[in-house]
Amino acid sequence: MTSTRDLVADSRDQYAFHDDIVYLKETKRGLTRDTVEEISGFKNEPQWMLESRLRAYDHFLKRPMPVWTDGLDKIDFDKIVYYRKPSEREEKSWDDVPEQIKATFEKLGIPEAERKFLAGVGAQYDSEVVYHSVKEELSKIGVVFMGTDQGLIEYPEIFRKYYGTVVPHEDNKFSALNGAVWSGGSFVYVPKGVEVPLPLQAYFRINGENTGQFERTLIVVEEGAKVHYIEGCTAPIYATDSLHVAVVEVVALPGSKVRYTTIQNWSNDVYNLVTKRAHAHAGAKVEWIDANTGSRKTVKYPSIYLRGEGASADIISVAVAGRGQHQDTGAKAIHLAPNTTSRIVSKSVSKDGGRATYRGQLKVAPGATGVVASVRCDALMLDDESRSDTYPYIDIQEDDTTMTHEATVGKISADQIFYLMSRGLTENEAQNLVIQGFLEVFTKELPMEYAIEFNRLVKLEMEGSLG
Amino acid sequence: MTSTSAPSGEAVPASKSDTAGTNRPRRRAPADIPFRFADRALAEALATERAEPAWLRADRLAAAEAFEVLPTEANQLYTPYIDLRAATLEAVRPWVQTASVPEAGSVTLLPDGVDGIIDLREDRVVGLGLSDDATAAGVTLETFGAALVRDPDGLRRDIEGGVTLPVDDKLAQLVRGFWSQGVRLVVPDGVRLAHPILVRWQSGNPDRAMLTRTLVRIGARAHAVLVEEQVPSGPDLECAAGERVPQGFFHGTTEVVLGADAQLAIAAIQDLGPRQVAFQHRFARIGEGASLHWALAQLGSRLVRSRIDNRLEGDRSSVEQAEIVFGTDEQLFDLTSYTRHIGRDTTGNLLSKGALLDRARSYMKGLITIEKSAIGTDSFLGEFGMNLSKATRAVAIPSLEIDQPDCRRAMHSSSVGPIDANQLFYLESRGIPPDEARKFIVLGFLEPVVARVPLEATQDRLRELLEEKWAAGIAAGSVGSTDAAA
Repeated sequence: MTSTRDLVADSRDQYAFHDDIVYLKETKRGLTRDTVEEISGFKNEPQWMLESRLRAYDHFLKRPMPVWTDGLDKIDFDKIVYYRKPSEREEKSWDDVPEQIKATFEKLGIPEAERKFLAGVGAQYDSEVVYHSVKEELSKIGVVFMGTDQGLIEYPEIFRKYYGTVVPHEDNKFSALNGAVWSGGSFVYVPKGVEVPLPLQAYFRINGENTGQFERTLIVVEEGAKVHYIEGCTAPIYATDSLHVAVVEVVALPGSKVRYTTIQNWSNDVYNLVTKRAHAHAGAKVEWIDANTGSRKTVKYPSIYLRGEGASADIISVAVAGRGQHQDTGAKAIHLAPNTTSRIVSKSVSKDGGRATYRGQLKVAPGATGVVASVRCDALMLDDESRSDTYPYIDIQEDDTTMTHEATVGKISADQIFYLMSRGLTENEAQNLVIQGFLEVFTKELPMEYAIEFNRLVKLEMEGSLG
Repeated sequence: MTSTSAPSGEAVPASKSDTAGTNRPRRRAPADIPFRFADRALAEALATERAEPAWLRADRLAAAEAFEVLPTEANQLYTPYIDLRAATLEAVRPWVQTASVPEAGSVTLLPDGVDGIIDLREDRVVGLGLSDDATAAGVTLETFGAALVRDPDGLRRDIEGGVTLPVDDKLAQLVRGFWSQGVRLVVPDGVRLAHPILVRWQSGNPDRAMLTRTLVRIGARAHAVLVEEQVPSGPDLECAAGERVPQGFFHGTTEVVLGADAQLAIAAIQDLGPRQVAFQHRFARIGEGASLHWALAQLGSRLVRSRIDNRLEGDRSSVEQAEIVFGTDEQLFDLTSYTRHIGRDTTGNLLSKGALLDRARSYMKGLITIEKSAIGTDSFLGEFGMNLSKATRAVAIPSLEIDQPDCRRAMHSSSVGPIDANQLFYLESRGIPPDEARKFIVLGFLEPVVARVPLEATQDRLRELLEEKWAAGIAAGSVGSTDAAA
């Protein structure tokens, strides 16, 4: 323990830091060591978490901004409020929500009660009731599904054992930022052999807390267990601050099965920088089903580290980039054990000057014999103003790997549109149908109600109704 | 989030076998260039020693300055893959004075089926000849030194400002600033050469650096074939165990300008010695309706860093590029190819294939860029690898950057796999012994480039070289592990 550390602890006592909590509503703008200590103190966290946060903070300062993607230098870290007490987040009124967002809710057919919640202005709505009954059912079979802050307090052993083991703070600049200031997110624990009968939907759970800007999700699935986790929703999420930096860690222990579905639709001023990674142990199967339609810029490559023999990975990544947007998304499969398999499918649509980038990594480490892997990236560009990039990194260090990779970029074929129009569709309808078909590999993996909403969303995007 | 560095804190065995067994030095930082000679004083010395005109001196100095400030890797996408550890060039000294013409009294005989030859060994010109037909048609084949005397204005137009080299590339600026030998081939408008021109570079003197440029200008509607050989200048030095192994350094360019409707086929074989470090820059500006074919074979050297730039500037221009790598021992091939579609209805067809044995490594990095102006592009990039031993490593980064969706085709494809068990079974069922069958499959995999070599003698030599390398691999027991896969 360093002397600085002791000093911090001392001063905390001296100023009766904990008693001040009642008066703390939010941290000052900007990020300093004090901010990190304040957040941890406010949450009454164990000492190890404070130390972990400070370690992350130090790394955040040290780590240069990534240069392989552009535009991140526009983020002003000093303008961000890194922590708000949940009750303080709900002071905005419905009148503050931009008309455009309200109109979108209307078109998507979002129920009145949910709209306020989605816009970040509603404190409660009926799903709270649903959540409670779901929670009761889950606890009967030993499944834990709660806020990450609560998980840290109530399940300290499991939490500490796995926290930061999948995405270390030092992984990248933004995992360090999240490690320093995280708040909210989900903590899920599924005991050995338990199959969770219904998808766990963060959509309902986070109702009480609002969506976290720096959320941290930890999912631990014991041997032979099975779970499907769904986050996000089709409606645009209106955020007060324009930075969303999340970390998601999934631990899939031997023989387990985990599916993680995301539909991201942040409003178009948000920088969405997310590190999502899973460890798949022997015989485990992990699936990321990931769609990004919102945000100004998304940087996100759901990853699976295949650490145990026979593990498998399946990643479907979808991106729609419209005016002013850059979706820098993709996937990574890192084969570290023999006889592991992976499949990556990426689909992107860019239009109205939007830019869709696929960036992916496929790695077969020495010792990972008998790997079978495939990567497929397809991109549709709807006009000449848009841009599409593909940057796959493939690194094979074994002699019996079977790897295939294919990528195509193009526009909607005039023949297809002509054919559909000859069957009585308008040009716009025809185009929609082609795009929906193009993205079907994704939508068919969604629960039905999500699939319907997602298709509506894509249709809206294509009409240019969303900014 | 970065797709590059292994995360710390991960208990993964990823790099274990990288360091076990071999004693590689620490990975060089991108700024650590493994040689010391490149400074302003050398650029000055080269210009003074060769009594170069002011414009050429200024060109060298501009390049030397650019070399100082540019990063080693021009492309941020690729930075983490720089690996110059194998290069120990701290002691190399470049040739400062080089011959412009063959020694007086020497006679160059044109080999059969060749319209011209220039043969350069270290600092000397050991052969230079042009057929009567080619001479009559106005073709010129000469060193930069000779061109400076005969046609200084023409040379100035061709090379001033470094317009046939990438401006953002440190290593391209290195050769622009510090070249000591240059070859210029000019084929005038409308001239169609019946036979190939052969350019041979012989390099390999330990602790010597050979920095060279080759400028190829093919006029409108002209047709030409160029065969380029990079071969050892002498036998390998024997070194006692533990002794410092001196390396040689070869850095050569091929700078191509194709006029309207010109056609050029280039076949290049790099078979330098095992103690050689080779850097190559190939840069082509392809005019309206012109077409360029590359057939490139990389076999030799300890470390190869190659960059190819194809600029499809004219409407309906096209490029076809086939490259093979056959790596053994600890060879490392770092190969980058940039193809930029600029004109309308341009075509790019790029194919790279690598077969690796022992601990050989290959990095195949390709980027296709389709600019907004490039309506009707047809572009394909394929990178295929065959890892034949356990300790090999094949990295492929086939990238696309597309600003114009109105294209006929924009795709890339890549695969890595062992020898196909079905093919092996088929051949064995026809009575071919397993080792022989594997050889057929691997050499067949590389055949697309061999078949494209236009000069029969060179083609035969390439086949021999491939067979020799294969046989050496078999003798060393490097290929055994494919049995498991089969």
